[in-house]
Amino acid sequence: MKEEKESNSESKSADLLHQFEQILESNPLIDEVGFIHPSQFAKLYEEAGDDIAIPSSADATFWSRDHKLGVSTQVLLPLYTAAKHAFMAAIGEYKRFGDDVVSDDRVESEVMMHSRALLLLSSDFGTAWNSRKLVVSKKQHLSKFMDELLLSELVLSYSPKSDHAWSHRRWVIKLVGGKCSTLQEIVRKESELVEKIAERSKMNYRAWNHRCWLVSYMTREQVLHELKKSRNWAELHVADNCCFHYRSRLMLRILKDLSCKQENASSDYVEIHKVWKEELDWNEMLIKRYIGREALWLHRRFLSLCWMEQFATDLCNASCHSEQKTSISTVFGSFVDNELRLLDSCSTVLSNDFDDFQAQATLSATYILWLTKQIPEFQSELQEKKLTAGNLKSMLSKMCPERSCLWDSLMGLDGNV
Amino acid sequence: MGELAAKKHVQYILSVEKRKDDLVSVVMEHLRMNGAYWGLTTLDLLGKLDNVDVDKVVSWVMECQHESGGFGGNIGHDPHILYTLSAVQILALFDKLNVLDVDKVTNYIAGLQNEDGSFSGDMWGEVDTRFSYISLCCLSILRRLNKINAEKAVNYIVSCKNLDGGFGSTPGGESHAGQIFCCVGALALTGSLHHIDKDLLGWWLCERQVKSGGLNGRPEKLPDVCYSWWVLSSLIMIDRVHWINKEKLVQYILDCQDTENGGISDRPDDAVDVYHTYFGVAGLSLLEYPGLKAIDPAYALPVDVVNRIFFGK
Ligand SMILES: [Zn+2]
Repeated sequence: MKEEKESNSESKSADLLHQFEQILESNPLIDEVGFIHPSQFAKLYEEAGDDIAIPSSADATFWSRDHKLGVSTQVLLPLYTAAKHAFMAAIGEYKRFGDDVVSDDRVESEVMMHSRALLLLSSDFGTAWNSRKLVVSKKQHLSKFMDELLLSELVLSYSPKSDHAWSHRRWVIKLVGGKCSTLQEIVRKESELVEKIAERSKMNYRAWNHRCWLVSYMTREQVLHELKKSRNWAELHVADNCCFHYRSRLMLRILKDLSCKQENASSDYVEIHKVWKEELDWNEMLIKRYIGREALWLHRRFLSLCWMEQFATDLCNASCHSEQKTSISTVFGSFVDNELRLLDSCSTVLSNDFDDFQAQATLSATYILWLTKQIPEFQSELQEKKLTAGNLKSMLSKMCPERSCLWDSLMGLDGNV
Repeated sequence: MGELAAKKHVQYILSVEKRKDDLVSVVMEHLRMNGAYWGLTTLDLLGKLDNVDVDKVVSWVMECQHESGGFGGNIGHDPHILYTLSAVQILALFDKLNVLDVDKVTNYIAGLQNEDGSFSGDMWGEVDTRFSYISLCCLSILRRLNKINAEKAVNYIVSCKNLDGGFGSTPGGESHAGQIFCCVGALALTGSLHHIDKDLLGWWLCERQVKSGGLNGRPEKLPDVCYSWWVLSSLIMIDRVHWINKEKLVQYILDCQDTENGGISDRPDDAVDVYHTYFGVAGLSLLEYPGLKAIDPAYALPVDVVNRIFFGK
């Protein structure tokens, strides 16, 4: 009795899997997968203005329209179990064939079919990703590799943080990158994909990590273009530290390119100064518009650190030309003035009731303190401007007493640095 | 909400082990090895490891070993360095490292080191500083650090350091508390902590503490119990743990308990899981919460287990 019941439910699961795989097979353009509670099915049919009979929620298992595929949460468990068993059987058979036998097309396509179904239900099932790598790398067809990018994108549509799905893309790109002439095109599309996913999935480390990884494959033009493009995005997502890190990655790349090459240096140099100055001004504008945003201030730490390190090197190099030296130190002095004005305008807490203003004040004072610790020249310039560590410390101890241990350690108990 | 509901957590861990047919446990089956490590280490920290059938666990772990020497996340799954460390740690918990063919495991790990000193996670070549830590930790437990190029491994990690003092997964990657733990841990295990600007990194790490007392893993993120481990252990290794408010953090972790059914969640009132239960208890152990065994911040194993490995006691 029990056995009969089990085999019955097993064949039912196998039917489900078959149905699922049929839908995937017949709609290669499906670009989004999601899991839907049975109660939502009726709503989906209604919205689509379907004339066909709306299935009762008990029968509703899959919903597909406009390249979107919905799977009922009620069937996930049996469907997953069937997909896993089918996949494990197929990959087992595939591996038993080994290299010595001419690969069997049937087994191969079963591995691909079942691993796809499985990965659309369990995005980090590593063995299923690996099996696809195994099959595809034996074939070495460019189109097969590109299909992998599509599957990975489909998986990311329901699991945007899937480590394996992102890693699978890098595996593909590293393999095809050397072979095809479209690497720049791929890089551009990848960057767009990250942006699309980042829109829905906030502060997605894996996604932005992927975009950072792309930077080393970009041409200089692409780097500049990305810098321009991600600016708008950052303005709309000022709390997303990932995007600011991405920008810093792009800016460091420009800096590195400059230090690597000799000729034409001076015009590039001017351009870099311009890029940095614009970023600093833009960041200041955002800081004043969006009160108390940590990511903005951390980005400023980065910008100012690089800016001043550049000044410090310039000062060194210019040591014999005293005129140049004077002009550099004037620019440096006015930079420090500007940062102090910023501190001034941000550290006046209007009302203790506003958490954001409190945060802004703390962040601005911490920012100045952070710079004094990283750049000795900044420190000495500050002392000339009569801002001492003692002032900073009393500000910070008042605004952010919960970190008093940190302030004590950094500035000494009496405020001496 | 005063105390650690230790008994409930033990019950919870043991019940998860038995539960095998709901969706949550089923979709986690590919990383069951990690789950076993989290659960078993929690039990050990709570002094309740003797509730477990050692032979059953050990034989299951060994069944997950692949012919290459690496371990899969479950029986029949492909090997990966992530599961290999968990397997070795589980065997260490039970004082069963002797069942391992140490050379075989060592060869698997050493074979994953790349020319630049980095490590791939498996034969498919993804590189990440997490894998560097795992390799070094595993080899250190097996006392085979001499089988890889440790100097190059260290140099690679240093190349992933950012201007904010933190570390990312690859050079130029964003600083993240989990990645920082891996890099600091790897440097600690190889005696290379001098590569770290401790004040700078300590500053970044202690800025992870938010108003509620909990820690986040990156700027502007919500606090999460698992970062009690990643941030705290890093702060301890670089000797800056006094820069955060420990009492508030203890309270935050305790607030994330399910005092009725056991288990700890990422944030108060969220659903509990084994992962956050482990990191919550491990975090409390680092905070010297009474009644818990001490845990080693670099090996992520109870201190008595580490001592047994290195001093034969
Ligand atoms: Zn967490």
